[in-house]
Amino acid sequence: MTDRRKVTTAAVAALSATALILSGCAAGDGGSDDNVLRIAMGSPGEAQIRVWDHVAAQFEAANPDVTVEMNYQDDDLYQTIGLPNLLNGRNAPDIYFEWAGARLEQRAADGFAADLTDAVTTGPIAGLFDEKVFTSLTVDDAVVMVPHAADVANVLWYNEDIFADAGLTPPTTWDELLATCDALDAEGIIPIASGNKDLWAAGNWLAHMTSRVVGEDVYSSALSGETDFNTPEWVEAFGYVKDLADHNCVNESANAVDDNEGAQLFFQGKAAMHAIGSWLVSWAIDEAPELNFDYVNLPSMPGAGDQDSVIGVVTGYVVNAKSSKQDVAAEFLALLNNDENVQAFIGAELTPMALSASTGEDIDSRSAGLIDMLETAPAIVLPPDTGYDLETANALYAALAEVLGGQSTPEDAVAGIDQKLG
Amino acid sequence: MKPNRRVTPYLFLVPTMAVFGFAVLFPVIMTFAYSFTEWNGYGTMVFVGIDNYIKAANDTLFRDSFVHVLIYIAATILLEVVVGLVLAGLVSVRRRGSLWFRVAIFTPVMLPMVVVAVLWAFVYNNDFGLLNAALANFGLEDLQRVWLGDPATALLAVSVVSGWVYAGFYMTIFYAAFSQVPTEVIEAARLDGAGEWQLFRRIKVPMIGNAITVALLLCITGGFQGFDLFYVMTNGGPYGATEIPTTYLVKSVFTFGNVGYGSAMAVVLTAVVVALGLVFTRVNREKPENVSA
Repeated sequence: MTDRRKVTTAAVAALSATALILSGCAAGDGGSDDNVLRIAMGSPGEAQIRVWDHVAAQFEAANPDVTVEMNYQDDDLYQTIGLPNLLNGRNAPDIYFEWAGARLEQRAADGFAADLTDAVTTGPIAGLFDEKVFTSLTVDDAVVMVPHAADVANVLWYNEDIFADAGLTPPTTWDELLATCDALDAEGIIPIASGNKDLWAAGNWLAHMTSRVVGEDVYSSALSGETDFNTPEWVEAFGYVKDLADHNCVNESANAVDDNEGAQLFFQGKAAMHAIGSWLVSWAIDEAPELNFDYVNLPSMPGAGDQDSVIGVVTGYVVNAKSSKQDVAAEFLALLNNDENVQAFIGAELTPMALSASTGEDIDSRSAGLIDMLETAPAIVLPPDTGYDLETANALYAALAEVLGGQSTPEDAVAGIDQKLG
Repeated sequence: MKPNRRVTPYLFLVPTMAVFGFAVLFPVIMTFAYSFTEWNGYGTMVFVGIDNYIKAANDTLFRDSFVHVLIYIAATILLEVVVGLVLAGLVSVRRRGSLWFRVAIFTPVMLPMVVVAVLWAFVYNNDFGLLNAALANFGLEDLQRVWLGDPATALLAVSVVSGWVYAGFYMTIFYAAFSQVPTEVIEAARLDGAGEWQLFRRIKVPMIGNAITVALLLCITGGFQGFDLFYVMTNGGPYGATEIPTTYLVKSVFTFGNVGYGSAMAVVLTAVVVALGLVFTRVNREKPENVSA
């Protein structure tokens, strides 16, 4: 082999290896310096995606040197590994969807939430929101999230036609709920549809129920890891979940089907009630336009909690602290919440938290009612999976599912939570 | 002058070794390293020694997940390997016209596993599903179950789906092996008065011992790699009854952000699979030489 051939061979081999090594090591350090504004979220559904794409087009038209890149991920994927992966990737999002509560605090602690205080007080976002809303979006005296919507995580939806045919009225107390279950079960109708395979669907509903029994402070301290679950009040709260099982209140398949299949039971009139969040409105309008449905808040429980509490969470958008385009991101969020776009979101069955939303005339009455319920609630309970540590939430959800499915006694279930959490 | 080519082959190996290094070796080493840390995947990494391994040893759900996967493997050996062997025996008896039968049995292998899982989740659905509806039509309401929601039936239900998919795969392997059995041996056995069942049991099956061994090894190691069916159909539920090591460690890492603990579980799982593979190979080597086709 000649020296030239040796050198050529070595060079090709070294270049190939280097290329592979570089491609393998290309994990990024956060923000990128190009002119692309990257926005990430769980998929908000077709109607809202159209609005988002329209807002992106408006922004690009007003800022010809900026390209807006939308990233809509599967909801569950985004909530778990999707967002952390994106934030640690080479082209991390400049703006990303997040839930207020423990998750937001974690993002701030990890250095992924920019300080937006100036932007919301004197910058482009100033005046678009009621100042009070920023209280729950402030971490270490810095506003770190721009709100977008307030989700009521659970209410009891009911089929007005089934209730009318059965001569029933929506339950407002625990005893009424059990009596309603008995009446519907006797007629061969599933009283409450639930798709709890992934544990959060009935989990949010039943967690709210337990908060009404143990009280909001006990609920919060247990989920924060400050107190144990294995206490008499938690056993009592879980006893009410057992009552639901004993009265055949939920579909037998509750722990075997997912939230979509659970909703289908309600949409198809096989179930009279469905315990799920405010997002059901746009979902039902899309998939069951003929369905006559309305909601009541969780019926009052015998217990120490505020019986008018609402389980809900504020969601919104965070600007990545590692982004080099924080000012551009703030301008985008201002555009997102201007009058025109707020009305467009209302048309897509989402009611933004911007002040101008209240002037909208096309808000679905149920959505408007839910927002009003959340705003006037004497106590707001955070959903376990977005408001607290996910592992603790999962342990609570799993225990609730076991009692709902008749697999555990209330005593064993609450003891099991503490055991699981060590 | 004789050219010096001692270095050249190694230079050409560099790209391949780089791919292997980054796709296999590097992740394995890093997973092992992560297993000694507490880390959420992006925050501060804290060295915790063997704490994750102690936690895994004391984790009831992790221990149970191995029991579940062993039950699953036992079921799939029956539903995939044994059924595949029987199907191969059937189609090898009458080769004329068996093509369509073989294609029909093999078709599920070509379907993406996620599609299969979604399809069968609908079949098993308690409220809209085909299975319970069929049982009701035949007056067998007593047999109706919430198949994927009952801890007593969920694991078996998933195993049946796995059998439905892979029985065709093993049938193909065994059918090919049967084709290699010398026809003079078959003819001699026929002349001695052997029927089809005796031919199958005493001639064909013993002569494809190596193929059966490979199939068993594939089934066992494939069982430990099982994930997609479980993830889509039950997500480890109900009440952890179908939690297997892969679903549990994926939840730990990707849902709860326990990269360190998940890595420790991955290392334990790898060690178990490698150990089983070695034992299987050793046992097989110590057996008398199989009559090979």
